[in-house]
Amino acid sequence: MTETLLTATRTAARPAARASGEIRLIDVTKSFSPGSYAVREINLTIPDGCYCCLLGPSGCGKTTILRMIAGHETPTAGEISIGGHSVLGLPPGRRGTAMMFQSYALFPHLSVLDNVAFYLKMRGIRRDERRRQARAMLERVQLDHLRDRMPAQLSGGQQQRVALARSLITNPRVLLLDEPLSALDEFLRLRMRGELKSLQTELGITFVHVTHTQPEAIALADLVVVMETGQIEQAASAAAIFDRPATPYVARFMGGQNVLTGRVMQLADARPRLESSEGWIFELPAAPAPPAGATVSVAIRRDRVALSRHDSRGNSVPPNAIAGSVEATEYQGSYFKVTLNVGMKHAFVANVSDTAFAAEPVAAGDVVLASWRAEHVHVLSRPDLGDAGVPYLDTTE
Amino acid sequence: MSGKSSWIPYLQVTPLVLVLLLFFVVPIALVVIVSFFRYQMLTGLTPAFTFASYLDFLSNPTTWWLYFSTLKFTLIVLVLTFVIGFWIAYFLVFHVRSLIIAMGLFLVCTVPFWTSDIIRMIAWRPVLGREGLINDALVSSGVVSHPLSWLLYSNFSVILAYVYLDTLFMIVPIFNSMARIDRALLEVAVDAGASRWAAIRDIVLPLSKTGIALGALFVVTLVMGDFFVINVMSGGLAGSAMTGMANDLQVLNYPRAAANAVILLVIVLLIASGIFRLVDVRRELVR
Repeated sequence: MTETLLTATRTAARPAARASGEIRLIDVTKSFSPGSYAVREINLTIPDGCYCCLLGPSGCGKTTILRMIAGHETPTAGEISIGGHSVLGLPPGRRGTAMMFQSYALFPHLSVLDNVAFYLKMRGIRRDERRRQARAMLERVQLDHLRDRMPAQLSGGQQQRVALARSLITNPRVLLLDEPLSALDEFLRLRMRGELKSLQTELGITFVHVTHTQPEAIALADLVVVMETGQIEQAASAAAIFDRPATPYVARFMGGQNVLTGRVMQLADARPRLESSEGWIFELPAAPAPPAGATVSVAIRRDRVALSRHDSRGNSVPPNAIAGSVEATEYQGSYFKVTLNVGMKHAFVANVSDTAFAAEPVAAGDVVLASWRAEHVHVLSRPDLGDAGVPYLDTTE
Repeated sequence: MSGKSSWIPYLQVTPLVLVLLLFFVVPIALVVIVSFFRYQMLTGLTPAFTFASYLDFLSNPTTWWLYFSTLKFTLIVLVLTFVIGFWIAYFLVFHVRSLIIAMGLFLVCTVPFWTSDIIRMIAWRPVLGREGLINDALVSSGVVSHPLSWLLYSNFSVILAYVYLDTLFMIVPIFNSMARIDRALLEVAVDAGASRWAAIRDIVLPLSKTGIALGALFVVTLVMGDFFVINVMSGGLAGSAMTGMANDLQVLNYPRAAANAVILLVIVLLIASGIFRLVDVRRELVR
């Protein structure tokens, strides 16, 4: 199926000289009522041909940004340009963008063919010509046999393909997708996710994809933009976001990380250290050294943590380790997710590979020592104030 | 168990069947039967099976004139109520952002219906009459030198009254079907570069056709079955199909009135089936 969608659009949606699809948002603010902001002073550059995912919980402003790029909302302040030219004031139809709506928004009174031909109709293309183009598009996405069906007679996956074909028929330089996979069941979601990615690679146009699902963003995006309450927490590659989250919020929201907080102790001849309120000691990377006495949060990937049995009587806990009792172990296929109660607000989680787990199995109730190497400690840009969001989903699928 | 359950459904539909029989089937059957009775000026009705009333009715040129007049009014009122009703509904659904304000405006539309038809019709007279509000204003402001006589007791006043009375019956069903249009569809249209007119023509209008069909059905039956409005507003100068019926009833010619009723019923049913042929209302309603 992926192959067909690819060959599909190879000829269809690539004009000879394509305009740049670089999107720039400069100090963009949107307020729907005085004093409250949907998004506030957003600065973001999405390179041409980039697959960008706007990721965040509902109400974080990601859809507002998408709609402002599309032209369905006007920013209260700031500048939006596509391909180097300001698009503010341009109607959606003249921005070179196309939007795929969350519920697909297929016209219920038009056949599949007329749905796909609709954008061409609005551009004043003759009936037989637009039908010919729409048929060619449908043939390429292998939906031609359904061209006379009404949208209500299609499955969710078919509806999505029709919506995709409809928005691509005008050769947009930017495709805007509002939660395109959320209406599909798990199986279709994974398949369509793969198709979207290969489609974007093939077309080479900019995709901006809004989602609240972390695995979706990580799997698809060249650029992941994590948002919370109208602001960008971090915009970076999926690997960077996952491996080196900027803030406690990103670390928690993306999952796969343990966030620990402590006060910096500076010893003359040693690495800077962090002492948590529970008395644990964590070594920090040598540079950049935060000032002594400052409160600092660090993130440690769950899969960098090693577990060993710990006899709590008499044995003190070494640096770069934390002791706790096992709350639960969950088999995840390639690894075991071990949840520890370490007496903090958030549980401490170690993802132990199946071989390591087999070598030293632990069970609920066991007292264990969770340790890591100092170089795996990642310092976050601001301390965890305890109110940062809890992970929406684990990255385990 | 099966013996018990087999008659329960019949029991459940019995009340509705009785109501329909008593208030719908029986009266219509009576009208149809009476339309075949014989009528003589002095003796009155005699049960019979004769087409005399139908022949009498159809051979009368007044009949044709009245029916033509009724159809003419129906068509004009249908067009006017559709145009006005569609825009009011469109405004309420797509331009009033607050649901509360929309509901408030919707209620305002119904305010005139809190009082009786008769009072509302009579109330037009001091507005439209020779010395009425409009003529006074026009004459005193020098727009016209003599009062306009066609404002009242004319086709104009009849149509005005019909539109005034019946537009709400167009607004309500159109409002209902418009309110169910997914706003995202209009955004897709805008995304595709559609002008407002194109979006209305290609999206709103086709998706409102159920409401338009139902509204048209209301307006057709209301205007075709009207006797009172046309009488009051035309001052007796114009007539409707019902006028002939009323005249027959006054001289106790029940068979001819009944024949008239049967023919009117058939015509309205034909129009209704025409509307349903254009729009599959049943399918659209379950959508």
